[in-house]
Amino acid sequence: MVSAKVKVLNESGLHARPSSELVKAASKFKSEFFIKMYGYKVNGKSILGVMTLAAECGAEMELILEGPDEEEALSALTDLFKNKFNTGE
Amino acid sequence: MKSNQPKILSGKPAASGIGIGRAAVLDTGTKSVMPEKVGEKETAHQIEKFEIARENVLKDYQQIKILPDNSDASDIIETQIQTLKDPEVDSLVRRKIRDERYTAEYAIFSVFNEYIQMLEATKVNWVNERVVDIVSVRDALIEATRERRKKLHVKRGEVVFAKEIPPTVMVKLSHIGIGGVVIEKGGLTSHVVILSQSLGIPCVINAHWDRYKLQSGTSVIIDGTTGQVIINPTWKQSQEYEKRKNDEELRFQKARKWTKEKSETSCGHPFSLRANVEFAEEIANLEPNGVKGIGLLRTETVLFETEDFNVDDQVTFYSNMLESTGNEPVTIRLFDAGGDKVIEDSEVESNPFLGWRGIRMLLDKKKLLRNQLEAIYRVSGKYKGRVRILVPMVSRVEEVLELKEQCEYIENELIHNKTNYDEHIQLGVMVEVPSVALTLDAFARHVDFFSIGTNDLTQYTLAVDRGNERISALFDSFHPSVWKLIKMTYDAASKHNLPVSVCGEMASYPEAAACLMGIGIQDLSMNAGSIHMVKAVLCQNSLEDMNDLAKNVLSTNSLSEVHDFLNSWRTP
Repeated sequence: MVSAKVKVLNESGLHARPSSELVKAASKFKSEFFIKMYGYKVNGKSILGVMTLAAECGAEMELILEGPDEEEALSALTDLFKNKFNTGE
Repeated sequence: MKSNQPKILSGKPAASGIGIGRAAVLDTGTKSVMPEKVGEKETAHQIEKFEIARENVLKDYQQIKILPDNSDASDIIETQIQTLKDPEVDSLVRRKIRDERYTAEYAIFSVFNEYIQMLEATKVNWVNERVVDIVSVRDALIEATRERRKKLHVKRGEVVFAKEIPPTVMVKLSHIGIGGVVIEKGGLTSHVVILSQSLGIPCVINAHWDRYKLQSGTSVIIDGTTGQVIINPTWKQSQEYEKRKNDEELRFQKARKWTKEKSETSCGHPFSLRANVEFAEEIANLEPNGVKGIGLLRTETVLFETEDFNVDDQVTFYSNMLESTGNEPVTIRLFDAGGDKVIEDSEVESNPFLGWRGIRMLLDKKKLLRNQLEAIYRVSGKYKGRVRILVPMVSRVEEVLELKEQCEYIENELIHNKTNYDEHIQLGVMVEVPSVALTLDAFARHVDFFSIGTNDLTQYTLAVDRGNERISALFDSFHPSVWKLIKMTYDAASKHNLPVSVCGEMASYPEAAACLMGIGIQDLSMNAGSIHMVKAVLCQNSLEDMNDLAKNVLSTNSLSEVHDFLNSWRTP
């Protein structure tokens, strides 16, 4: 199991497009993916789960991955947060 | 008799245009789903029903995903497709059927409702706005599970009334060729609205039509520009709206014809119509409107959205703009904030429009300025001869000299790093403060072109704050003093062989565009949606007539006379 703390940099939070990008990216990996935020834990491959976090700009969360490609997945997903989900914001 | 009385209700205008026809009341929204249980042996069949329903709905959504070329709409549908594929939803529904022996439809209903309640409880705007999309996925799934997917009994030209319309239904409706849509709920960013706008269907939202016991077949009129809905219109109302609708369509059709024509007057005099652009999403709109290049690229949004005014992000944004405009020029206006768009460390000013903004702020914030110049210069290397820099809010020539020092600094840096840039990159000044128009000679030696920003020029000439509603009637860009300053600018610049363009809203009025042409300004930039109307008027008239118009407009000191002259050119 690997994990990393990340922060939402997108100005309008983890809104529809970033949530969708996150789920899309996570689904490409075999590893299980969970997001922990304020004591909640959701399946990161579930769009409804991610949306219920309603993460706003500056929100901090922990990405937890477990599986055969966990390292690779973790770095891809943390990059996504850094790049503001390639939304051009 | 009473039920045939005309009733007028008003909602929020959401997509422009007039719809006239019979009402088609759409019964959407799910009736209650009962918590019915099935026998042990039935559960496998229920799970299968759920799987088949999901496949069918998924197919529907994937089909519409490729239809409208609109990023907001496809974002919504993408989210809905992901909802259908959601692994948690899948396992929760299966468990509800297998362990609790509920029917597929109740399992779907209750699993989705739990999520919907959680989403509503977040009280975060964007989340709450998406709830309606999740509800429509739920309802589509339940409908599909019931194996009696609704046939639409809507005919061509009918005006559809509904509480809400799921996107799949909306796309089907647009294929039928409906005359308009009225919905009870919805926000301006909801899929019905976005699709209506991109598909050209008049749309009114937040209209409580259900209070009027509206029946399908009743005659109705909706106005997507004002938000008005008339049920049982009188003969007179029908005539009036019919005429307005026809006029609108005729005007549009006529103007459309000209988009592919050469940009020249009836006597063969050329002109250039370019677009004012701010968002990457607008690019798709340029081509169909026959736009030649970008006459004003606003950079406030891209800079506000990049952290520390990041150079690479800007390079990407500018490159996209150049990439999608063929061989035409793109005029990038430097960051024009301050005033109404306050940035972080600016203090609240008592007179922001006369305050620290445009070039005044840029010269104080060197890092911001240098980053932007560096991004523009870097892009210019790849698109030589096409990138132009426009400086906002200039009021004295010293500001231009100081800016040029910064340009040199960047050039030296780029040479040092062996980075390619356009050595002949053009630098222009916005003419929006009267002092520039009045002393243009002083600027002429230092710049390559001038661009007139008519909104601010009007504001500063007439001393009217254009944001102040109490005096908004005093704000009129057609005031004789503004025309005189435009003429002055053109004459002085011509003496130095420098080109002048207009990039203010004024150019989007066909009659004003004709007058600007008459003055001698042939390079006009405006919002892309106005271009075909302006082009139609310019193509159909001779330069001589435009010269006469300009002469008349410049000959008077009376605002009402200016309007009279221009009125005769206004498109009927």
